[in-house]
Amino acid sequence: MKKILLASSALLLVGANAASAQEKTLTISVYGFAQDAFKELVYTPFEAKCGCKLVVETGNSVERLAKMEANKASPVVDMAVVSMADALSASRAGLIEKIDNTKLTNFNKLYDIAKDPNGDGMSVGYTFYATSIVYRSDKMEVNSWADLLDEKNASHVAFPNVTTNQGPPALYMVGEAIGKNTPDLKEAIAAVGAKKDDIVTFYVKSSQLVQLMQQEEIWAAPIGRFSWEGFTKLGLPIKWAAPKEGQTGGMNVMVLTKGAKNQDLALEFMDFWLSTEIQTALAEKLVDSPANKDVKVAPEIAENLTYGEETVKSLKLIPSAVALDNREAWLSEWNAQVGQ
Amino acid sequence: MFQNRAEALALALPAAVFAAIVFLAPVVILLAEGFRSADSWSLVAYVDFFTDPLNRTVFLRTFRLGLMVTAVSAVIGYAAAFAIVNLSPRNKGQMIGLVVLPLMISSVARTYAWIVILGRTGIVNQALQLIGLSDEPIRFLFTETAVFIGLLQLFLPLMILSLISALENMPKDAIPAARVLGANWFQVFWKVILPLTKEGLVIGGTLVFTGSLTAYITPAILGGSKVLMLETLLYQRVTVASDFVSASVIAFILIVMSFAANLLLKRLATARNKR
Repeated sequence: MKKILLASSALLLVGANAASAQEKTLTISVYGFAQDAFKELVYTPFEAKCGCKLVVETGNSVERLAKMEANKASPVVDMAVVSMADALSASRAGLIEKIDNTKLTNFNKLYDIAKDPNGDGMSVGYTFYATSIVYRSDKMEVNSWADLLDEKNASHVAFPNVTTNQGPPALYMVGEAIGKNTPDLKEAIAAVGAKKDDIVTFYVKSSQLVQLMQQEEIWAAPIGRFSWEGFTKLGLPIKWAAPKEGQTGGMNVMVLTKGAKNQDLALEFMDFWLSTEIQTALAEKLVDSPANKDVKVAPEIAENLTYGEETVKSLKLIPSAVALDNREAWLSEWNAQVGQ
Repeated sequence: MFQNRAEALALALPAAVFAAIVFLAPVVILLAEGFRSADSWSLVAYVDFFTDPLNRTVFLRTFRLGLMVTAVSAVIGYAAAFAIVNLSPRNKGQMIGLVVLPLMISSVARTYAWIVILGRTGIVNQALQLIGLSDEPIRFLFTETAVFIGLLQLFLPLMILSLISALENMPKDAIPAARVLGANWFQVFWKVILPLTKEGLVIGGTLVFTGSLTAYITPAILGGSKVLMLETLLYQRVTVASDFVSASVIAFILIVMSFAANLLLKRLATARNKR
């Protein structure tokens, strides 16, 4: 009996050793977007470099954060990419931990706003996008965010729903334009609500807008820069507005799970993703705009990205704490003013 | 069929256990959430839900659209089914094929087609302007009308198919007999066809009503957030506010409405029978 026990435990040990020698695994949690491109440009090259295996979990941020919360006691995911505000929310929930940026060799190549977006050392930006207004230049003129709500224009506008990533930033800029910008977005929501019968739709999926623009259902809509390319192919006179209040946008960041099993490997992966080479590759395929300022791309590529020091500096982003603390209030205000 | 009940039960057991574990238990857990408040059972979530005016608007709109789609599909469905069962077998097969055809196309594609058809430059607006009924494009998209049309097209085939099978089971000489005895067409329908096909109407009505209540894609695409329905509201509560309690309340309301519709229709059917 003893012999058998000994033999089997020896076997177990050998098995365990073999497994660990054979494979280190890193589990990452990302948006379910452009995964083919990410696999080719980021995941596979990283696996080759580290001799490890990447397990990729995808989903929208609500699902993925809920999963991280559920697995808090024994984390499955080593690192995740989320929006700036979600990173703060995860940090408040105690799900993530400080990122040791001395281990990120590419850290100093990042634009300043990407280095520590929430000012708590818990996240690093890897991409961002501008949000402005795409419009038919033969039908209307856009010089201000307030032009969207103008008498002549409102009935040809699709406005982002407050529930989308573009909604709050667009409202924030409308508030700026009407000179009543408070964190609760109350005045901006009321201004949009006053035109709710005119406005064509409060869109949820930006993919729908190209069709609406093509059908002349709409002449203008606030969108993120990542949706711009589709409009340029319509063969219509379409422009990207430079409103006098500026452009807004959003940033996506990387976070490190608290108590993650493979923290060093996770940091190595983050560093890899932030490297000039990988950020350039992602930019050239129009997957993500670079957060690494050493990235240089051709003008026709830059045209479709949020690119360059000037652009990045001009972005007016909603601070994460404001977004997080007001999200629920925005939604109920929106539902009361616009939703009915 | 079986020697004893035990045998039959034993055969049903695996399926029952499977359904209980993967369907019933999760549904109960999900729904229970809506009845919990600070570690005790309560109806607070339901009271809160119905005190919000937006939620009441959305609830009534969902109910109203469900009823309208069911009623209109019953009217069109009877006419269509009646026409089809009286065709030669060959033509009948072809017509049923045409009715079934839309069911084979993804509802996303069908709904997107409506965006083109109902658009400002779409065929409906062009036709209205051509015949002079309207001077400028009418807005259909992102209105209740659009959602109504989308849902009707989505679920009408289910009503037609249920009514066809009901009409086929009706004795062939019932209608001529009623006519010979002096009934007009209204009486024929009300006193003969309707009572004899009510089973089909109950099945079709339940499918259409339940389908309209729980459809997500059509209200989301054709109505958008200007025409929120319970389903789209549920989605909003979960993805934006991570509010699983309201979501559970909405899910329970939808289940209750579906069951109630089915029971009500069955009750109406049997009530008419007794008379």
